[in-house]
Amino acid sequence: MTSDPYSERVRALFAAPDHAGDLENPAARVQINDQGVRLALAAVMDGDIITGLRFRAWGCPHLLAAAEAFCRAYEGRPASALAAFGAAEIMRTLPVPREKLGRILVLEDAVRSLGQSARVSPDAGKDTD
Amino acid sequence: MSSTGIVYLDYAATTPVDPRVVDVMTPLFGAEGDFGNPSSGHVAGRRAMAHVERAAGQLAALLGCRESELVWTSGATESDNLAIAGAARYRAHRGRHLITMPTEHKAVSDTFHALEKQGFDVSWLYPDASGVLDPADLGAAIRPDTQLVSIMHVNNETGVIQDIAALGAVCRERDVLFHVDAAQSVGKLPLDLTALPVDLLSTTAHKVYGPKGVGALYVADRPGCHVEPLIFGGGQQGGRRPGTLAVPLIAGFGAAAAIAMAEMEANRAHLQSLNDRLWQAIRDLDGLVRNGAESHTFPGILNVSIEDVEGESLLLALEPLCVATGSACNSKSQEPSSVLRALGCSDLLAQSAIRFSFGHPTSVAEVDLAAARYRAAVGRLRGIAGGLAA
Repeated sequence: MTSDPYSERVRALFAAPDHAGDLENPAARVQINDQGVRLALAAVMDGDIITGLRFRAWGCPHLLAAAEAFCRAYEGRPASALAAFGAAEIMRTLPVPREKLGRILVLEDAVRSLGQSARVSPDAGKDTD
Repeated sequence: MSSTGIVYLDYAATTPVDPRVVDVMTPLFGAEGDFGNPSSGHVAGRRAMAHVERAAGQLAALLGCRESELVWTSGATESDNLAIAGAARYRAHRGRHLITMPTEHKAVSDTFHALEKQGFDVSWLYPDASGVLDPADLGAAIRPDTQLVSIMHVNNETGVIQDIAALGAVCRERDVLFHVDAAQSVGKLPLDLTALPVDLLSTTAHKVYGPKGVGALYVADRPGCHVEPLIFGGGQQGGRRPGTLAVPLIAGFGAAAAIAMAEMEANRAHLQSLNDRLWQAIRDLDGLVRNGAESHTFPGILNVSIEDVEGESLLLALEPLCVATGSACNSKSQEPSSVLRALGCSDLLAQSAIRFSFGHPTSVAEVDLAAARYRAAVGRLRGIAGGLAA
């Protein structure tokens, strides 16, 4: 149906937000309230590698789907990769309607802040035995 | 659940056409039927006109008015426009002050906004927190130059019922025309325009199991009550609304009106039981708010908001329920409902509002599924948000 505002991918991500939740002792955690949405991201690291990502979100289906898509894509990748994350790719691949760009930019800001925090303290929360 | 896989709980937006109405309409389309132009003087035209006259009798019986007081339109939006703009212009030489409420349907409020741009002065009266307008507040707002008041009967978002008898009496006492948008109440609540102090009343077929594309405006046959036409053409309907009459649609409207009249009480009892059942099944949810006073609402509508839940995600999580986040005509808008804000609802709470609206085809099983789905959706979205929304 062409009038459906949600793509199959958005619907699938919205229906199964496997990464919604919290992490114990995350290496980095950010929260942004802006553009009428609230978003928190958390990461655990093993060295420079992101071994776990979780999100919390209060917002529209596109934001929730975008947050889930980000978490799925970036687990197992180095923290440095977060700096390259851009809203444009999410807007194109989900896709997200243009009028919601501001909300996806909130995700972009959160991801980049998460990357900076993770690089500052890559061992935070790591088991030190 | 219907064979389409959806659970339709949006009867305030529109209703399916009753099969008995379809049976009345179908023969009027083809070459073998009474397809003539009802304005034609020949036999085919007269046969078509007979269907129009029959429908007028059926609708007039439902409304308690004379057939000659009805003007056929394309729907409630056109009826509202014709009533408000037509009456305001007709009486503009006597004064240019008009009164309405911000809780009206956009077909009304946007017409008033257009009139404001044309130099009319509009007063917007706010209801109390339950959604009801105090007739004393209306009386206080009427000025010597006031010519028209427009207040809807049943609110399309909340189901709140205005006391049109009391409000109309205030208008009648001050020689001010009183228009009522009754799109949500005709065929569902008793109306007797012979007794009610209402001058103009808008209605439509598709809210009452009739076809889309046809409505009517009641214009009381009394001195000073008249509407100037908004369109011009063939002079049909006394020039008030020219254009070839849509005979199959009008006949369908008439049939729907007759059915509604015969089955109104049974339908109302059914709607009340469904409304009560859904409310009882969800009312214990933390942070749930019922929009519109329970004691003053039409039972076909239940509007609720809930704290800490985002409305658009709630709507998607509720699928396959077909419900509304607000007026169906503006549900794609990201703006919180102006109706709920007028009731004092915060923007955050208003954006989570869901309107469940029931019809006579609605089953108990569908309502139970709706309750379960609503509870699950709220729990799931709160789980995703964690403490963020608090």
